Amino acid sequence: MRSTTTAVLERKAKVRESFTTEPYELPWAGEARFFVHALEVGGDGTELRFTTQISPDGLHWCDLDGVEHRVDSVGVTSWLVTGFGQWLRLSCRVVGQEPAATVRIYLVGKS
Amino acid sequence: MTTAPVRREGAQHPSPPGYDVELSKFNPLPRVLCHDTFDSPTHGWTELLGNYDGTGDLDTVDDHMWDFRPPQLSSCSFFDVGTHGTLSGAYALKLATRPHKGHTAVAIRRLTMAGRGLVQIETHFAFKPEANVGPPRQSGRAVSWDGNNHPSEAEFGCFTVATDICSDGGIRYHNVARYQNTNMDNEMTRQWMYPVVPEPTPRDHFEGKFSLPYASDFTAPNPEDWRTFGEPTELCVNEVPTKINWHYLRWLIDTDARKNVELQVNDQVMDMRDVPVPVYPDRYRTLDNLLNFYFSVRTHADVRNFLFLDSVLISVDW
Repeated sequence: MRSTTTAVLERKAKVRESFTTEPYELPWAGEARFFVHALEVGGDGTELRFTTQISPDGLHWCDLDGVEHRVDSVGVTSWLVTGFGQWLRLSCRVVGQEPAATVRIYLVGKS
Repeated sequence: MTTAPVRREGAQHPSPPGYDVELSKFNPLPRVLCHDTFDSPTHGWTELLGNYDGTGDLDTVDDHMWDFRPPQLSSCSFFDVGTHGTLSGAYALKLATRPHKGHTAVAIRRLTMAGRGLVQIETHFAFKPEANVGPPRQSGRAVSWDGNNHPSEAEFGCFTVATDICSDGGIRYHNVARYQNTNMDNEMTRQWMYPVVPEPTPRDHFEGKFSLPYASDFTAPNPEDWRTFGEPTELCVNEVPTKINWHYLRWLIDTDARKNVELQVNDQVMDMRDVPVPVYPDRYRTLDNLLNFYFSVRTHADVRNFLFLDSVLISVDW
């Protein structure tokens, strides 16, 4: 039987400026999937641009790929992550006039 | 405090049929309820979250109880040596705080009781602050590097093992044992502690009895409500923040008497029978036979703190 686990990396993050999620280790997982659930999106032209980041040590980070996952409205966005190392996190770049959003972020790992 | 006897004769005999290497790492009571090793997922050790309303509105969770962070399976890898590994295999359960002074990470295991009597939790554990790769941090000022001691020693706050138990008509209480490595000023204390008040609950908050800010000490928020027991203990932190030495912990409680019994950490056994277990003054419903255990780690600096559990065993005498 395959193993799987779901971590809630952010439960109700009030997003006003760019941020990164806390490092999360998935050394056992062959694949992973991020879910970003935008609970509220306000402000003028608020857009959250998520990039998957990886790290060899949990301290130093680089982008996994060149893909930005854009969130500008309420709802769930998801993407698959493969070929990563031990650690994963999201970098979120925020744009817009007085941006305001509330997000919940899940990371699912599967062996 | 006493020192655990060291038995030497066993090493001279071959292992009997059915000998279990993994169980031999523990000293369980007759009935094993849980034996958790973390080369398979998290075995029911999950993030603690405060209670919320009937609409799923997590803004109704107490401010100090909504961000205890998800436990993760770690191969204990570090910037300097790569993968360290664990005592029993590839992965340990890791609790990680945010790099925020006062923040706590909590993993909880939820059971119920089919009897009353002795209950024991054992684990092989390690604790570390996150390594610093850069200029010296103010939080490590209490310890100077001399090739043996290391500033990271002062950057680990405390870890706690505790219960949440409710039985016999809604009588609820928490047994609590904490190792406080530093005080909130990042000065070394290395002492064992217990609270003299029960943990503030969401119902207490709902009834207006308290309101605690983010990163409060959820077990007992007022430092004045903590006492020490046993003797100050220097554990094996081993010089730098990327060496993992596994410690053995065995904690025995009595759910019949609602008391602590003893705590063993490596060769140190502390009699806890006189360490009080505060009971809530009012009664709780929907928690009949509740038997929860949690491990927590709290940082006293703006530095991530980690608690690694190689394996856990819970056993009872009923």
